Amino acid sequence: MNSTTSIPGISKRFYPLKIFAVILILCSLALFPFISDNRFYISLITEMMIYGLLAMSLDVLLGYTGLLSFMHNTYMGICAYAVGLFLIHISPTSLWLACFAGVVFTSLVALPVGWVQVRTGGLAFALLTLAFGMMFYTIVWKWYAVTGGDDGLMGMPNPDITLFGWHLGSSSDPVNIYLFTLTVVTICFFLTRRIINSPFGAVLEAIRENEDRASFVGINVRRYKLLGWMLACILASIAGALFILYKGYIGPSTMSAFAGAGVLMMVLLGGMGSLWGAFAGAFIFIYIQDYISTMTEHWEIFLGLFVIFLVLFLPTGFAGLGDYFKRFRKA
Amino acid sequence: MSGTFSIAIDLLLNSLVLSGVFLIVAMGLNIIYGLSRIMNMSHGALYAVGAYIGYSLVATGVNYFAALIITPILVGIIGLLIERTIILPMRKRSMVYTLILTYGLMFFLDGMIKHIWGNRPRFIELPEFMQGMISILGTQYPVYRLMTLFMIAAIMIALMLLLSKTKAGIIMRAASTIPEMVSCMGINMSYVHMGAFMLGCAMAGAAGIIAGPLTTIDPLMGGEMLISSFVVVVIGGLGSLRGAVIAAILIGFVQTFTEFFITDLAMVIVFIMMAVILAFMPRGLLGEGKFE
Repeated sequence: MNSTTSIPGISKRFYPLKIFAVILILCSLALFPFISDNRFYISLITEMMIYGLLAMSLDVLLGYTGLLSFMHNTYMGICAYAVGLFLIHISPTSLWLACFAGVVFTSLVALPVGWVQVRTGGLAFALLTLAFGMMFYTIVWKWYAVTGGDDGLMGMPNPDITLFGWHLGSSSDPVNIYLFTLTVVTICFFLTRRIINSPFGAVLEAIRENEDRASFVGINVRRYKLLGWMLACILASIAGALFILYKGYIGPSTMSAFAGAGVLMMVLLGGMGSLWGAFAGAFIFIYIQDYISTMTEHWEIFLGLFVIFLVLFLPTGFAGLGDYFKRFRKA
Repeated sequence: MSGTFSIAIDLLLNSLVLSGVFLIVAMGLNIIYGLSRIMNMSHGALYAVGAYIGYSLVATGVNYFAALIITPILVGIIGLLIERTIILPMRKRSMVYTLILTYGLMFFLDGMIKHIWGNRPRFIELPEFMQGMISILGTQYPVYRLMTLFMIAAIMIALMLLLSKTKAGIIMRAASTIPEMVSCMGINMSYVHMGAFMLGCAMAGAAGIIAGPLTTIDPLMGGEMLISSFVVVVIGGLGSLRGAVIAAILIGFVQTFTEFFITDLAMVIVFIMMAVILAFMPRGLLGEGKFE
């Protein structure tokens, strides 16, 4: 995928070339399933977009608020389970209601967790995300009667995608899911970008830069951290709703610490503090994962080495490469 | 009546053993954090590495007690290599990077364990005399479990003496409060960081080989121990050694008793307890960074 365009994070200037590039990428993504008939790539790109949304939600937390969450995929998993259980047990046809219920349920779970987490410091926050993440993972894994335990949640119905009464197609067709995901992810991306560029986003960045100074200016640091956390969790839960529609299945491995490290890796690859970078990171990561996991079963070793390598030599990630070359040219 | 009593004794001793293992791992984490402000995410993996090295040593015919001494030294050397190669460049960067870096290291070490020793669970062969049972107040209790209590107590006393009586310990305590002053006294802080990291890793290795024979050794043990030791460290207060003692005993008892009564969701009870404690004492029981 050609994702080398950059959308300026904070700058208010007008870049016709960049807007053109964004439109070009969106159009090519939207037209892709009509040009190519390859089902494998369609589903791979769907997965990339969903994980891109998840990585972007973690980036809101990590790159903008400066809070590290080791297991952000937990909240994606919780929402996926909630949507799945809603569709199986309550109503097999109402897609929007299920997604809404899933997002609300995830927020209700994330709120008390976030409330406890933001009261501790930045480091304890990171450790607690791991502890709570493992707790949810254990619950999902052990509560066989509801979640299906190790086997995961199966027998998902395929609700029709409708909008204000229009019938847009069945969710059993990968092309429909692809287009649906693309639309939702695009909306989420621009919405998040708008939020991050608002005064609220500036407050989050102030907290990232210096918590003490932010509180001296009169910012309620804990409340804004909690709001940042909730924003990230809600975005992650939207990714979860898309995930279960795409896969039709959710298992505990999606919520494991290992998968969480993968999401962290996507953000690192793309560069912390860059929304489009998170998508680029997810696209690269899933492509590499798909490639390497066919060759070796010791994907863990490679993941660990990649993370170490990236932190040591490329801490700004893919999005930072541009700055690096600019500096290089000037010198 | 005697049945209930013997179960109570059993549970009490088991809680103490579990607390002791948590204590040593958490103490290693706290020493590293207290001295160099680095939270080592790969600590659980190093604990697993310790258990596996102990297994290999015993399996190749090394005396168990010799393995008990060699393993921490080997894990300490691994710690030294890690510190010199990848932790050292991180000193000047934000803490987030170290967290992510050591998290990556954890996956690398876990992957290496699976690569070298495989997924199969392993058992450490104990010498004959430690395999039996001993009668305590009418309760049959495994000898080895009792031995672990003595070993853990010995390690803790040695650590206490190191920190309070030796010159290295005094330097370490001083460095945890005012590192700048320590370097003004002509002490190379780089060596202090190195020593702290080695000591912390060696303690993880020691906990690994002590806890190894208690259960089976499998690749998942590191991750579980990492979470438990984080819970201990966060509840006790980051970098607070006394807080870690109290928190380890608390968590050890709560986990053993809930495991006995509810079995499956014991960890969930522990986490809920942690959340309640942190809601009222966000800095942990004894506050942050009391290094003594």
